[in-house]
Amino acid sequence: MSSAFCPVKRERLLRMAENIIETNGLTRNYGDICALKPLDLQIPEGEWLSVMGHSGSGKSTLMNLVGGLDRPSAGSLQVGGKDLLALNEDGLARFRREFVGIIFQQHHLVPYLTAVENVMMAQYFHSVPDEAEARHALERVGLGHRLKNRPGELSGGEQQRVCIARAIINSPKLLLGDEPTGNLDHKSTVMVMELLKELRAEERFTVVMVTHNQEVAGWGDRTIYLDDGVLVREERMR
Amino acid sequence: MHRRRWLIHVVLRALSHRKGRTVLLLAVLAMASSLATALGIVSYSMEKRVAEEVRKYGANLIIVPDSARLDVGSGGLNFGVISEPTYLQQRQVEDALAKSALKAERSFHLRGALHHKDADIMVEGVNFSDVRRLFPWWQLTGNWPTAGEVVVGKDLADRLKLKAGDIMECAGKAQTMRLRISGIVSSGGEEDGLLFLALSDLQRALGLEGQLSLIRLMVTAGGETLKKSAASLQMLLPTAKVNEVRQTARTSEGLLAKVKLLMLMVTAVVLISAGSSVAGTMSTTVLERSKEIGLMKAIGGTRWEVMLIFCGEAAMLGVLGGVAGYLFGSVIAQFITRTVFAASAEFVPWFLFVSLGISLFLALLGSLGPMVSVFKLDPVRSLRGE
Repeated sequence: MSSAFCPVKRERLLRMAENIIETNGLTRNYGDICALKPLDLQIPEGEWLSVMGHSGSGKSTLMNLVGGLDRPSAGSLQVGGKDLLALNEDGLARFRREFVGIIFQQHHLVPYLTAVENVMMAQYFHSVPDEAEARHALERVGLGHRLKNRPGELSGGEQQRVCIARAIINSPKLLLGDEPTGNLDHKSTVMVMELLKELRAEERFTVVMVTHNQEVAGWGDRTIYLDDGVLVREERMR
Repeated sequence: MHRRRWLIHVVLRALSHRKGRTVLLLAVLAMASSLATALGIVSYSMEKRVAEEVRKYGANLIIVPDSARLDVGSGGLNFGVISEPTYLQQRQVEDALAKSALKAERSFHLRGALHHKDADIMVEGVNFSDVRRLFPWWQLTGNWPTAGEVVVGKDLADRLKLKAGDIMECAGKAQTMRLRISGIVSSGGEEDGLLFLALSDLQRALGLEGQLSLIRLMVTAGGETLKKSAASLQMLLPTAKVNEVRQTARTSEGLLAKVKLLMLMVTAVVLISAGSSVAGTMSTTVLERSKEIGLMKAIGGTRWEVMLIFCGEAAMLGVLGGVAGYLFGSVIAQFITRTVFAASAEFVPWFLFVSLGISLFLALLGSLGPMVSVFKLDPVRSLRGE
């Protein structure tokens, strides 16, 4: 039988087209501590999912798992049709550069590189560094005037925008945000969130954003609440 | 931008960002490679100088005919040993030297007696160009001989009251010759009592054409090589005795070996301490940069790609340290040879590659442990600062 007509595979393929992320019994243990208890979660392509919960609730663990930064202890994890459990460490790295853009709370910019060079670093690991493209990405986030500044010469909000430019430079299908506004004041938070909204409208990537902030979570389409590694509540915003 | 250019750019940026640490690592690498280079150049120069000094002692292989020996005695009495003068065929010796492919300076000699004014005087036939090359310490008053001319040893000249410009009439078994004295020679040895004339002239006068009584060889090698050379020549010349002038050989061999051993030991100590220093500094650097490494992995760098950046930094330091080490090393070598050995060291361009090799080796070897840490580092934990 041809694989195209195999009902099981067809159903799986159709599901893939709808859901960019699918987890079944996804679990992560750190020694005796269960950071994420068996979790079944589907995230449709293009959705903006906010993940909320207290410290230690498993939010970042979930984000690291779907971003291919960490490996589950049990369960299955499909991202963009890829079984992440089947990939080795370098395979996961390649998956991240092809598929994922990450925005960190601490920005994590390379201190000795300028804003444009920090963006080019992501291009280097993806394919070839292209300064013109990197400049354009920074212009899109409103940092056209700060291209040659190093992270130490930028404000928190500006550093976060460099981080966003770096995250979107390789046109990822999935954008992960680990409390991206956690270190920003209200004005900068709104600016960053509006920027992400605009970029998402243009690029049509899926967003998974971990946050403590109810207001930030409200920018998403759906919010899930984790408590002690368990999905306790789900709320659709629009 | 080309990937390789970008990598070099990042490496340079990283190194210039940590100026203090970069300068420290460069200093360690340059110091180690410069000392190794300096000692290498000194050793190399001294080896050449010692070889030249040894040359001044004269030949280190001597070939003489294996003379027929006859015990003389009667009843229980033994009066000693007499030996008949024997000679070696010049052509046979030349063939043997050619076959052995020995790299050696050579000097052919024939000794005999010529009759002069009712007395026999000891004469030696030589090629004066060989003598001048092999025995540069001979002191000559006057000129080296041309055709029909001779030089007289200082003692002989004093005894016979001879001086440069005098004409001597000397008779051999086969021929009588009129010879003009072109100079008086002194070596401080037995040569001072001899008369020296062209080898072919003496061979004709004595009726010993193509015959030799002594061959002196200055082989530019010591130890085992010299022994092997002597053995191979002995095989090719069964009617001769090939003798190694052991004292000279041993002196040069021993001196060179001691100098080299000293240099090797000092170099080893320096390299070990420099390697440890590089390893320590690189480990600290990697530890400090664990978040940066984690970030590179998080944004898609594979373990090998991230490690390549750090290897690039180590290699860049190695190259810069090697070049600096070569330059400093050459200066130090000059200083050591001038102050300790009262000589000047050679400028040896190919030692640049030795210096580069040592510096690169140290930088990469010292970075091996830290590189393994880079390879293994977990991005999530390092970004968390764990």
